[in-house]
Amino acid sequence: MTTDQRPDFHAALNSLEETTMDMADRVEKMVGMAVRSLVTSDNSLVTEVISSDDKVDELYMDIRSRWMQIMARQQPMGRDLRMMAAILELNNTLERMGDQAVNIARIARATAGLPREETILAKLVEMGDLVKPMIRTSIDCFVRRDADECLLLPAMDVPVDVLNRGMWKHVVECGHDQPLLEWATRMVLVSRALERVGDQAVDIGEQVAFLMTGDHHEFTRYTG
Amino acid sequence: MPTRLEPAPVMVERMVSSDPASSPSTSLESAPVIFDIRGLNVYYRDFHAVADTDLDIHQNEITALIGPSGCGKSTVLRCFNRMNDLIDGARVEGRVLYHGIDLYGPAVDAVEVRRRIGMVFQKPNPFPKSIYDNIVFGPKVAGWKGNLDDLVEESLRRAALWDEVKDKLESSALDLSGGQQQRLCIARAIATSPDVVLMDEPCSALDPIATYRIETLMRELKERYTIVVVTHNMQQAARVSDRTAFFSVDVGTQGQRTGRLVEYDSTDQVFTAPSLKETEDYITGRFG
Repeated sequence: MTTDQRPDFHAALNSLEETTMDMADRVEKMVGMAVRSLVTSDNSLVTEVISSDDKVDELYMDIRSRWMQIMARQQPMGRDLRMMAAILELNNTLERMGDQAVNIARIARATAGLPREETILAKLVEMGDLVKPMIRTSIDCFVRRDADECLLLPAMDVPVDVLNRGMWKHVVECGHDQPLLEWATRMVLVSRALERVGDQAVDIGEQVAFLMTGDHHEFTRYTG
Repeated sequence: MPTRLEPAPVMVERMVSSDPASSPSTSLESAPVIFDIRGLNVYYRDFHAVADTDLDIHQNEITALIGPSGCGKSTVLRCFNRMNDLIDGARVEGRVLYHGIDLYGPAVDAVEVRRRIGMVFQKPNPFPKSIYDNIVFGPKVAGWKGNLDDLVEESLRRAALWDEVKDKLESSALDLSGGQQQRLCIARAIATSPDVVLMDEPCSALDPIATYRIETLMRELKERYTIVVVTHNMQQAARVSDRTAFFSVDVGTQGQRTGRLVEYDSTDQVFTAPSLKETEDYITGRFG
């Protein structure tokens, strides 16, 4: 039976992890709302994504500040040190994922009055439907300390990459119509943003593997 | 006739084993092993202080022994230069090879052992003599025939104390600050040209600045000497050592406490991703 000799430190570390998971939940919702705003042209969703990102940025700064204090005061070691390293990575990754959601939402607002091409839109919705479970899986793996399930993430990322790589063909087909081409060109950026979010979910999976094993893992990624 | 303890470095290939307590799975270069300890058990009369310890100490490295109070780390340290011989009722079993020679062999001269394997203690303990006399005392006893002034200067320089005391060598060592006294004790230990310097919590009585000076000095000294340090300060072990041995204590049914080696690995590994949960619990403060 072990007794925690550093309860204050571990409470601070647990609190930091909870804040990080709060941030992750918000980012997951933001990505969903951003893709929905694209489909529905609902400006209130765009506004909500942007205001959610303000909160995510606030959490990002809060985590950085508390992270520095813990490192300076507590000098973590072993799995506590690995947790601190993983949290710092997650904090950066989640903040960037939030930025990608904002990029998508802003494009939704900017293109709201333009004609749309349903095939492209369907592909983007499909990408959104693929990356949201990736975010959830990566976060669940982190919470459960599940170094096995996070190995699924690179495979989950494959169809996202395939859809992103195929997007240009659909855009080219819009070349006959100037307003439609403008919309479609912006959708390439949306596709790219969703592809990055998928990669970032894989990055979180790599942090779970590091947390559990102490080894730095680079998951094999689709390059076809 | 005492056995001569000539330095005879024995190249020992790093053993590859899944047992983290006996052989480090380390990324360190395989430095020669100068202490080869197998099946070490130490008793103080009926009290079994340390059980079944296997440990290799590598040349020109700093090895830290860490663990909770009563885990036997200081007892193990004292086995390296037979300081336990001076404790009534102490008994050492097992094999302690130093450059391939059994330190506890019947023909080995314990005084010669302690000349080759010096020791620095927790509390600075200079002799109540001048700074100069503190340095020359050991070499004189050992029959040193060289130039004593040169020896004093060289020893004090190596201990990073020369510049502070060169103009007051005849002053009492007791007038020095705690940090200076400890560096004097290190200078005294290296004046006899040892091969190994053992340090038993050398900074526990010092302030942070003096502590950092000793730690810097340790890193300089390991170019010439092999250092084994017992410390309660895990951050210090992490800062200065190349390898770390974690000891723990088993409490028997009658409350008797016996120390044992749990894990031995490169310091990088022990403090970032130790192999055993028991080690991780200790370094992260989850124990007791």
